[in-house]
Amino acid sequence: MRAIVLAAGEGSRLRPFTESMSKVMLPIANKPILEYVVDALTQSGIEDIVMVLGYRKERIMDYFGDGKNFGANIRYVFQEKQIGTGHALLQAKEELDDETIVLAGDNVIDAEILSSIVSHKGLALLYIKHDKPSKYGVVTIDGGLIKDICEKPKKDIGNLISTGIYKFSKNISNELEQIISQGSPKITNFIRHLLEDEKKIASVKGEGTWQDAVYPWDLLRLNEVTLQNCPSASAGKIERGAEIKGNVSIGKNSIIRSGSYIIGPVLIGEGCEIGPNACIFPATSIGNNVTIGAFSEIRNSIIMNNVHVGSRSSVFQSVIGEGSKLDTNFTSVVGDAYISLGKSDNFHEVKDIGCFIGENCKIGSGAVVDPGKIIGRNCKIDIQKRITKNVKSESIVV
Amino acid sequence: MCGIVGYVGSKNAKSILINSLKKLDYRGYDSAGLSTLEDELYVFKDQGEISVLEKSIPDMPGTLGIGHTRWATHGKVCKENAHPQISGNKKIAVVHNGIIENFRSLREGLEAEGHSFESETDTEVVSHLVEKYYDGDLEEATRRALKDIEGTYALAIMCKDEKDKIVAARRGSPLILGIGENENFVASDIPAILEHTNKVFFLDDNEIATVANDKIHITNFDGITIKKEASTIDWTYEDAEKAGYAHYMLKEIHEQPHVVHQAMLGRISELDASVSFDELNSNEPFFSTLGEISIVACGTSYYAGMYGKHIIESMAEIPVKVELATEYNEHIPIMFNNIERKLIIAITQSGETADTLAVIKRAKNMGHKILVISNVPGSSASRLADWTIPNKSGPEIGVAATKTFASQLAVLYLIALYLGQLRNTLGAHQISKFIKNIRDIPQLIQTVLDRSAEIEHCAKELKNVSNMFFIGRSTNYPIALEGALKLKEISYIHAEGFSAGELKHGPFALLTEQTPVVALCDRYDSYEKILTNIIEIKARNAPVIAVTDTDDDEMEKYVDSVLRVPRASIELSPLLNAVVCQLFAYHVANYKGCPIDKPRNLAKSVTVE
Repeated sequence: MRAIVLAAGEGSRLRPFTESMSKVMLPIANKPILEYVVDALTQSGIEDIVMVLGYRKERIMDYFGDGKNFGANIRYVFQEKQIGTGHALLQAKEELDDETIVLAGDNVIDAEILSSIVSHKGLALLYIKHDKPSKYGVVTIDGGLIKDICEKPKKDIGNLISTGIYKFSKNISNELEQIISQGSPKITNFIRHLLEDEKKIASVKGEGTWQDAVYPWDLLRLNEVTLQNCPSASAGKIERGAEIKGNVSIGKNSIIRSGSYIIGPVLIGEGCEIGPNACIFPATSIGNNVTIGAFSEIRNSIIMNNVHVGSRSSVFQSVIGEGSKLDTNFTSVVGDAYISLGKSDNFHEVKDIGCFIGENCKIGSGAVVDPGKIIGRNCKIDIQKRITKNVKSESIVV
Repeated sequence: MCGIVGYVGSKNAKSILINSLKKLDYRGYDSAGLSTLEDELYVFKDQGEISVLEKSIPDMPGTLGIGHTRWATHGKVCKENAHPQISGNKKIAVVHNGIIENFRSLREGLEAEGHSFESETDTEVVSHLVEKYYDGDLEEATRRALKDIEGTYALAIMCKDEKDKIVAARRGSPLILGIGENENFVASDIPAILEHTNKVFFLDDNEIATVANDKIHITNFDGITIKKEASTIDWTYEDAEKAGYAHYMLKEIHEQPHVVHQAMLGRISELDASVSFDELNSNEPFFSTLGEISIVACGTSYYAGMYGKHIIESMAEIPVKVELATEYNEHIPIMFNNIERKLIIAITQSGETADTLAVIKRAKNMGHKILVISNVPGSSASRLADWTIPNKSGPEIGVAATKTFASQLAVLYLIALYLGQLRNTLGAHQISKFIKNIRDIPQLIQTVLDRSAEIEHCAKELKNVSNMFFIGRSTNYPIALEGALKLKEISYIHAEGFSAGELKHGPFALLTEQTPVVALCDRYDSYEKILTNIIEIKARNAPVIAVTDTDDDEMEKYVDSVLRVPRASIELSPLLNAVVCQLFAYHVANYKGCPIDKPRNLAKSVTVE
């Protein structure tokens, strides 16, 4: 069986983190979201994978290559302009096989959720129960068949949502082409069209993991949940006097210096230098080539690759993007916040949250960031600044 | 420098050989051929590269065969001169990489004995010699033939009367034997067989192997059996694929953040302020008492060597000479001096570069200590060396070196730090700072890659020029040379690299409105000087493209366009500027429609002198 993974979009609500890599490449427990999808597929016996890429495709190709390292055979097709999921699928129409799983690359899933649709024959849509259906495509079901699908309904029409995981076959490609040429680029449009055409689409219930990150703060929740399966392993070096408790995984050539105190679940990548006397508490993921200075404390955070956290810093409930450098005495203040992602966005109430720092920022010594504040990529923050507002990418705060 | 392959097993040999040859066509691609053996000896060969020829190859039965992709040395590019070369009685088939130096006299002798030749190649004498000595034992016939032959070779030979084996032999040209299950492989290089196995024997000079599907028997020229340890290659098959990119070169450019990370992984510790190499023993007084270093290399590796000179001299305060291996003959007397306190550093990506190997062999004979920087584990160079520091960058397939250059620079930087630390020319804090700086490089290279749209745009504007200059100062001078080399290699645009200060001593005469100059700047000591140079160039109306860092708001006042890289230390800005040059050359070549992974007349691993 073949799978077509739609991974061309940016996921702009996760900016600034998606400014140089798409949502599917954001790390959850040190693995890109897309890798969970690939793993779920290969564990379901599907090794033949076609990815539809567009936005920042190089990052994805660099990571997955031809898929051999992931037990898969991955090929790529490209969607030049990201105008919709149906249009993305159309780019791969030559790849539609008799039985093809089509799914989005930006949900954390496991093999279990795929099992019912993999074994199903014929057109099918995988749905799950969800407690916040209004953000998704809500389906109504009748006698094992999809009756209707409604994108982000304003009214309460049920709590069954489409996972965006489908079983298609190659004989749909003409209709897909036709409906897209009529100016409806989304897959849900296409599904509705099929239903109007009285095609039968089976409704298949999914049991297992299906998680979505819509906003930056969702990354932390997803990371925390995923880290519950964190293994306990060390390929690195732990100096005498460092205390490691719970499930902590330490990558190759990383060193945990004396006096450090780490309570799992914590994941630490390759080539990191931690401490001395650093404290890392649950549930934290630290990428590759990261340095955490002396007397710093990290708690429930995502620290991406190549980050430096200076000594005596506190990083709590925060996401720090690739390559950012936090000088000494950095503080992320934790609290409840109302966060807006931009002028057209509503305020979201987020409780108990730290801060979000995009990639390649340089944060001066003694900076303090208020709860829920978002600092864009490539920003420079002068020493001893308190950040009380969101900071746009490429800004300098003096 | 050709590529040879061989297969003995139970599958159809033809398709396996074709796939393997495709992986080797970086070694040459002007013609190709293969031969399989069942009841008959089947031969196909023609002019052109294997992926094009593939379609015209007829069915060839047989589970035993040999193949070849050619980079012409003796005899022009034509079907007759392609390999395999077949003996007069049509029973012996030979593929060969190397040069048989005495082929003229051998050929005259054989012709006098009645052999008639069909090609202009040196290789054809091998098939006729084997035929002449053949008496029911191919291995013995090969051994006798090789006693007559002078020169270099990697050979794979089969005979119609012995349908279960290939005989392989090596002197001076690389050859490996891949160990499969009920099948075995012969190849010039690892990528050719990686799809099938990662267990190999490295054949050494003056060894002959008889390869059957269940057995590999290795002997020396006197017939004495040689026991060898199999090596396991930790490259993956995937590394040798294009992974969605249009060209290997672009894929390899994009691998550079990872490659630099790999080059430093496990070798640095910021807080301890220490650099260590598993491959070197720091207690050895030799390194701390070094008086002199000679770096030898060719091509891109030579430019890496020039960078190495700069960085070692400034960090470790050891005088360094950089020599072209191709020119080292002229300098033999220098090698006699000061042997006890002198280190030779040889840089060769493939570890098989014939010019560099020749210098290594001579230096070794004189008793010099040799350190090799190579990307290929178990290569000829590393087996001759006292120490080898692997680049760890995985196989590089694009003929134009990119990621291996980055890893060579990173390794040289670490060697300089290592020596500086042993010799106490650097303080602990300085070392720590230098380590912190290289730690940042993978991310900074990624940032350059993320901004490549600017570079592509610039390339589009300049794709039609016929001459271009690259200038740089101090550590960026070698990058100017490398930038020009990249552009020459793949886009066929005439390009020259100069030290920015040297321009006015001659090349100025060439500047016109039609000769764009790429200026590689770093905002350190030489910034004012290169700015002056740029203003001088602008006064001659030549367009200037400056590569400088994102914080530089001065430069855009003087030049036609600015390509920006993140700010890096003076020692490491070359790693970022090199990526800009690579991407620029790539996009220019791509807009011009050039065959980027296989530029005309070039081959990756130059195994002839």
